[in-house]
Amino acid sequence: MVIDDSRAMRLILRRIVTGLNFDVVEAGNGREAMDRLEELEAVPELALIDWNMPEMNGLEFVTAVRADKKYRGMTLMMVTTESEHGQIVRALAAGAHEYVIKPFTPDAIVDKLVMLGLIPDGAHA
Amino acid sequence: MAPTGDDLQQIAEQVWASYLDTDGAKPLIPLPPDKLSKDVVAGVAVSGAWHGLVLVACSDVASKEAAAALLGMESDDVTEGDVDDALGELANVIGGNVKSLLPEPCTLGLPEVHNNADGDPWLAGDEICRFEATWMGEPMEVSVLEKPQGGGTE
Amino acid sequence: MSLAAHEFQFVSSLVRREASIVLEPGKEYLVEARLLPLARKAGLASVTEFLLRAQSPSGRQDRDSIVDALTTNETSWFRDREPFTAMTELVIPNVVKSRGPSRHLRVWSAASSSGQEPYTLAILLKENLPPGWTYEILGTDISTEMLARAERGRYSQLEVNRGLPAPLLVKHFTRAGAEWEVAAPIKKAVSFKRLNLAAPFPPMPAFDVVFLRNVLIYFDVETKRGVLKRIRNLLKPDGWLFLGAAETTMGIDDGFERVVTGRTSAYRPRTGTSAPVGVTGKG
Repeated sequence: MVIDDSRAMRLILRRIVTGLNFDVVEAGNGREAMDRLEELEAVPELALIDWNMPEMNGLEFVTAVRADKKYRGMTLMMVTTESEHGQIVRALAAGAHEYVIKPFTPDAIVDKLVMLGLIPDGAHA
Repeated sequence: MAPTGDDLQQIAEQVWASYLDTDGAKPLIPLPPDKLSKDVVAGVAVSGAWHGLVLVACSDVASKEAAAALLGMESDDVTEGDVDDALGELANVIGGNVKSLLPEPCTLGLPEVHNNADGDPWLAGDEICRFEATWMGEPMEVSVLEKPQGGGTE
Repeated sequence: MSLAAHEFQFVSSLVRREASIVLEPGKEYLVEARLLPLARKAGLASVTEFLLRAQSPSGRQDRDSIVDALTTNETSWFRDREPFTAMTELVIPNVVKSRGPSRHLRVWSAASSSGQEPYTLAILLKENLPPGWTYEILGTDISTEMLARAERGRYSQLEVNRGLPAPLLVKHFTRAGAEWEVAAPIKKAVSFKRLNLAAPFPPMPAFDVVFLRNVLIYFDVETKRGVLKRIRNLLKPDGWLFLGAAETTMGIDDGFERVVTGRTSAYRPRTGTSAPVGVTGKG
């Protein structure tokens, strides 16, 4: 699941994870993402989450998802331009598993997914 | 601690390497452009311990090329909406990185894109740093404007 | 735009002379990719113009930067995980068990480049060694520019995004302007020194672990043999050597035995063959 209020960023992220054989569901903010999660039959393996979004921001989304046992299997990766040390600490404390700072190259996403064990090493060309 | 032109250059170069010049074929050249033009200005407001705007300004042609590169399309097919999305996101990413150089705590607003910025009241403020570059032969500029405390940063 | 034969010739003899590194024909793309940023930085339109300037009598600085650019490996923290997994799962438990009284670990990152590898090793040891253990890491490189960068220990946002888990980033780095800086306790454990692997080494105390990744591939067989022998002499008898994924000691230096661990291999000095200086192994 790709959650970002920027269509351009959703497209960039979609391109990267589609290339890694993930099926992608998009949402424009945290609230929309919660709604999509309710509708989906299977819990997504991975959510890439922007921080600054209207209605429900990424940190609030992470907190909400972590409070719900059904979503325990979902890996939460913040992908955001928030780059202060304290912000990363806050997001990890709220339950995010990983954190990528924008701007990022596709390799950065791939590296983190390898380290999280979501894709095998060398799966990407 | 305040951001400098060198900081803006470093941030802009990383943004270009990540999104607009991924194969090194379209480098952002750190030389002032021959002609200045601010056909399109995208900005994000920063508010909190510091108030102001982080701006990306460029020519019409450069804005279409940027949208094409970011969205993976042909520049001829780029619509005004594409330009708004793309430039807005560039301003957002650059703005977030600039914010980390400003006093804490600050929050980032959502991006706005304005055309033809001459005399635009949105752009009133004191410029504290600027990075001018040439991209694909077109002018590209990143700057930071400080606004008087509480003065209309939305 | 592609590199002319005489241009490639100039660059390959330069790096061979200065760094004993062999650039086989076919590596033109690599030369070009690495030199293009140098040309741009110099404000020149093409690699050809840059090489012309480098070949002039006053081009010493350009020639040094060419050697630097071609001898530098891109490194990215824990990205190439296997050797680091082997460190935590195999090497550390082993050393902790066998090296009871001394409680100190010496590690050499033998091509430290911009410093990610030695700092990664320092982070790994800090996180995984039992309390009471100390460690030191030596990073060496042939490039003085890279050593200066490594010593500074500051990395861009893009660099810390590559292969560094966020929990370790916030624990072991601080923000320094637009960059991130390695925190003091990690920095203190790492020292840097210029060293040409292809030449005789200065005297150094023996190491428990040596990382020599993606360096041998640049050398011809004779040079490889010399490097491996010198390293073997500096490795404790129960020490460990890690090479790049595409590299091996096999067929080059039979004083090492290979230990397969997970999806990678480590190399250990073969018992009874801690060859004294001047005695080469057979073959």
